[in-house]
Amino acid sequence: MSAVVFLVALLLSVPVAVVLAVTAIWYIWQSGNTILFDSFALKMFSGLENYGLLSIPLFMLTGELMNEGGMTRRLVALARVFVGGFRGGLAYINLLANMFMAAIIGSATAQIAVMSRAMVPAMKDEGYDEGFAAATTAAGGLLAPVIPPSMMFVIFGVLAHVPIGDMFIAGIIPGLLLALSFAVVITLIGWSQQFPKGAWMSRGEALRAFLAAIPAMLVPVAIIGGILFGVATPTESAAVASLIAFLVGWLFYRDLGPRKLGEMFKRTAANASMILFMIAAASVFGWVVIYEELPQILAGLITTITSDPFMFLLIVNLALLLIGMIIDGIAAIILITPILLPIATGSYDISPYQFGIVACLNLVLGLLTPPVGIGLYIASSMTGTMPGTILKTLWPFLIAVALILVLLSYFPKISTYLI
Amino acid sequence: MIRRLSALVAWFELWLAAGLAVCVTALILLNIITRYFGAALFWVDELAIYTMVWMTFLGASAALHHRAAISITLVTDAVSKQVNRVLLKCVDVIVFGFALGMLWFCWRWFLPIDIAHAGFDAEAFQGATFNFIYAEPTTTLGVPKFLFWLVMWMFSFGITLHAAMHLFSRETSE
Repeated sequence: MSAVVFLVALLLSVPVAVVLAVTAIWYIWQSGNTILFDSFALKMFSGLENYGLLSIPLFMLTGELMNEGGMTRRLVALARVFVGGFRGGLAYINLLANMFMAAIIGSATAQIAVMSRAMVPAMKDEGYDEGFAAATTAAGGLLAPVIPPSMMFVIFGVLAHVPIGDMFIAGIIPGLLLALSFAVVITLIGWSQQFPKGAWMSRGEALRAFLAAIPAMLVPVAIIGGILFGVATPTESAAVASLIAFLVGWLFYRDLGPRKLGEMFKRTAANASMILFMIAAASVFGWVVIYEELPQILAGLITTITSDPFMFLLIVNLALLLIGMIIDGIAAIILITPILLPIATGSYDISPYQFGIVACLNLVLGLLTPPVGIGLYIASSMTGTMPGTILKTLWPFLIAVALILVLLSYFPKISTYLI
Repeated sequence: MIRRLSALVAWFELWLAAGLAVCVTALILLNIITRYFGAALFWVDELAIYTMVWMTFLGASAALHHRAAISITLVTDAVSKQVNRVLLKCVDVIVFGFALGMLWFCWRWFLPIDIAHAGFDAEAFQGATFNFIYAEPTTTLGVPKFLFWLVMWMFSFGITLHAAMHLFSRETSE
């Protein structure tokens, strides 16, 4: 019955967080365990008492600061120095700039919004097909939650009790692999349709672009360096990154002023609280998961089908692909981690890092698939390209992600090598 | 009337949440600086966490006013406008029920009448109710924790107001 309440409320478009809480209320009420109501509000509060979660508003703030443009433009110019001269140069610039941005921004939707505005008009001007331009940018956004920092990894790390810093490090190789696969896709598309020629910068231009980008590069260096060398927690590096992003944007590039900060903090608070509130609600929903022994029941079912970890992950991949198509990625990771992770680690001896990376990348794919592909709509509204047009050139990228998912599922070493 | 009140409260909640987001950032930076100089302040982390929790519940309440919370619109997008309006009312009923539930949970947790009966004496209150809410300390801040828990009341009243507004006032096309 709780499952019915859950599904009906969810499909009615009740806010996901409220769905979780209402399901928990229903469950407690019908199981007669009403003593739990005394600590219901306490449980929601304590679900957020976690140091790692502090990084969520901070990474969002960094995203807001990047949104104001100045740094993004310099990073794109820097990417031009390295790959601008190839045929289809701008497509590779787009990809490389997306990698730089992924090392700063932790959310795919934020990155797609920023990069669509920065890249798609430029690509259109140089004669690229607008669907291809938007599709490349949208796909590039998928790097954001895999290359550190990543909001999804923070949430997964908190739910899975895995150090967030290690989770970030685990994402580096898969992120690079993903970027490489996108480069292959762009090359293959380039064979079938003639890309516009690129042009190398003159040495002077390249040097200027390089120098101008140095302050902007401080942000990813601070984030990844701080975490990689263990000098800062992800939360601290997020705070430092937002401070650098602000100072560089304000004092060096002069695109940002303290006056804009008010609105930025307001958007940060609004967006972060939506995600954090879901986590708070998930902790009361956790009662349902635990008392109903959902992981144990599901584990019993799945272990009769297969005892092979790879097969298990393939099944999980298929299920998550469907879930991700309907449910927002972050909401989905909050929902599935407490249920599926114990099965993965308990019954199949899968590393939580491997599971986390596969699950997060898979769920984020849902941003770009209909019927509720939020990333697709963002790219569309930022560029004026119809979602259908983007989707037509997007599918090779989606297939590339699917192949990477299979690779990540088969070789645990890809995820765990650096830890 | 209720629409204006709800909008005002949401405006206030959102700006307060924004101010708290500033505090979270400042506290973490403060922590880094003091640690760098070898004089780490041990209470900063805990305060930063509570600040974030306050930001979350205030922001979440405001999100309900703006209908901005994350939800699955697969079905509601597919149906006609009339059906959609009916479904939206169902959502409002559920959210309103949840809001009343939260008020009731806060009541059961804080037991305001019992603590008043005990003359706001935490020990007498504990003896009578076996509820230790007013005795629970914070780990490092040296103040009772219920002060921070009070945000759950603010949240519960806030969402009750916003949900009542959506449920009982006529939807204007915004």
